[in-house]
Amino acid sequence: MKLAALMRKEFHRFFHDPRLVVTMLLPGLLIFLLYSVMGSAMNGKDGKNYRVYCDGTPPLVTALVEELAKKSDDTVEWLPLEDEEAARAEVKAKKAAAVLKFGEGFDPLTEGGNVEIVYDPASEDSLNFYSLVTASLNELGRRFQVDEVLLSAADAMGRSVMQSVLPLIVVCFIFSACMSVTLESVAGEKERGTLSTVLVTSVKRSHIALGKIVPLSCISMLGALSSFLGTALSMPKLMGVSLGFLGGYSAWSYVLLCLLILSAVPLVVSLIALVSTLSRSVKEASAYTSVVMILVMVVSLVSAFVPVMGDWSVALPVLNATVQMQALLGGALPVWQSLVSVGANLFYTAVLVFVITKLFSSERVMFGK
Amino acid sequence: MEEIVRAEGLKKTFTLSKKQQKIERTGETRRVAVNGLAFSAYRGEIYGLLGPNGAGKTTTLRMLSTLIKPDGGDAFLCGHSVVKDPEKVRDRIGFLTSDLKLEGFFTPDYLFDFFGAMHGVGKETLARRKKELFSRFGIDKFAEVRVRDLSTGMLQKVSLVVSIVHDPEVVIFDEPTNGLDVLTAKVVTDFLRELKGMGKSILLSTHIFSLVEKLCDRVGIIIDGRLAAEGTLEDIAQGNLEETFFRIYRERKGEIA
Ligand SMILES: Nc1ncnc2c1ncn2[C@@H]1O[C@H](COP(=O)(O)OP(=O)(O)OP(=O)(O)O)[C@@H](O)[C@H]1O
Ligand SMILES: [Mg+2]
Repeated sequence: MKLAALMRKEFHRFFHDPRLVVTMLLPGLLIFLLYSVMGSAMNGKDGKNYRVYCDGTPPLVTALVEELAKKSDDTVEWLPLEDEEAARAEVKAKKAAAVLKFGEGFDPLTEGGNVEIVYDPASEDSLNFYSLVTASLNELGRRFQVDEVLLSAADAMGRSVMQSVLPLIVVCFIFSACMSVTLESVAGEKERGTLSTVLVTSVKRSHIALGKIVPLSCISMLGALSSFLGTALSMPKLMGVSLGFLGGYSAWSYVLLCLLILSAVPLVVSLIALVSTLSRSVKEASAYTSVVMILVMVVSLVSAFVPVMGDWSVALPVLNATVQMQALLGGALPVWQSLVSVGANLFYTAVLVFVITKLFSSERVMFGK
Repeated sequence: MEEIVRAEGLKKTFTLSKKQQKIERTGETRRVAVNGLAFSAYRGEIYGLLGPNGAGKTTTLRMLSTLIKPDGGDAFLCGHSVVKDPEKVRDRIGFLTSDLKLEGFFTPDYLFDFFGAMHGVGKETLARRKKELFSRFGIDKFAEVRVRDLSTGMLQKVSLVVSIVHDPEVVIFDEPTNGLDVLTAKVVTDFLRELKGMGKSILLSTHIFSLVEKLCDRVGIIIDGRLAAEGTLEDIAQGNLEETFFRIYRERKGEIA
């Protein structure tokens, strides 16, 4: 009952202040706009022309062409497939985008059927065309069997960049989202003396701690999620990789990814709350928090480019999330490592909440001169 | 007369930080702020702790309101020990100082409900008390205005009312009129008289003689963390508090610098 009132107050404070809501959600939108603009500037506005070899049956090609035309102003130059080896060589050499082969009885208008697509994920055009085709086939709504032949490892260019950079960006967002609300709410309230007003009441100190950490974590998750979506949705454009690429992960990868992000947020919130409780002012707290943030970023950066982190990394707070996210985006499915990381983060959060409770009861921390 | 607040040999020693030592130009690392303080306040009266700067008034009141723990002695409020039963004490007292602030973002209405919940006051009781107190102290006119937009006088009223949301038996008030203009100070003294009229017991600290003379039924003079004199105004001062205070001070500390 008292705990519920404390949490409600924290949510009320946030959601009834348009300024706070906007500053929390704005970064995501800005990132999306910025990256998208950068992306289209970098990749050029004009439609591309894909050269595609195909043993095409006319109805399919017509249907595909119509679908493709709806999706973009890209054009496709269809070339008859005569020498498959030579065609593949051209794709590999980035001169052609793909090779399409249609199976017996392939009929996109009534039946479905199977189609083989030969492409090279290492080439931007080829990858884009591949996603265009799969998206178009999906749109046609029949059951197709798509056999993919990859001319280089799937973890090519885009993926490898995304893999190492995205987790770093995510941790950065988590920190900035958590910082903006937690510093204000904990260090701010301590500095302004509104926290002591609650301390004179009979409410349990642990409830005061939880009444801060839980709502602040929920709010920070919103912020982190907004920034993450902004990035995830614009990254492909920025790097000229189409969105189909993001669809390349299994549902489980997404579940684990979300769990990792969600488990890192309360941990970071508690960490900043701890620092804030120990500090005398918002200024002091934000200085210390920046140091913590830089530390985490540096270690994450090292872990991104030195891929020799053993399984023991699951025990490292926050960093475990970065490492597992990198593995997930790299196409692996480290189920137990991810789950242990999530568990470890929740455990650390609990420990921090306990410590913060102790600090709230400490007169030297709360009322020291 | 029933004792409602009783302090028994209260003691508090602070460790001085390096910074504090520098500011106060002292080499000592420990400071005894309250040194075996004992006094009693009775139900229904206004008791004033009178003392110069640094006498240990704030420290004493903080110990009584359980914000800090005494390192010697004990105190009892409504029979509950501040050392053994701090939570019981907290629900029976209202504590007010200028260090305790209300969040400017919220309205008096919201804060009243929030602090009611913090003290575990039931919904119906809370609604009834809000109506009664808000109209009695004229807060209903600005009940929905954010606290940060209120004038100092209005804000003071809100702080006063919020501190008694849970109908405490004892109200503890550190330097009630410090830093307030005459109008706002009057709001506070009127409020304290009103509280006394409601049958509350009030314990306040001050260094202002006139405030004691105007308000207090009994007074305790505190010097260097010890009680130097205690009694009704007539008992200890025979009508001239200021003179009495300086006489006692000279007896204890020698000539005034
Ligand atoms: N948290 C603390 N840490 C260290 N020293 C303290 C602390 N609180 C108070 N003191 C010291 O204890 C002594 C008594 O302080 P206190 O604030 O109780 O006095 P006071 O009677 O309220 O004085 P004032 O009229 O200035 O408010 C002072 O010398 C003060 O410097
Ligand atoms: Mg004081």
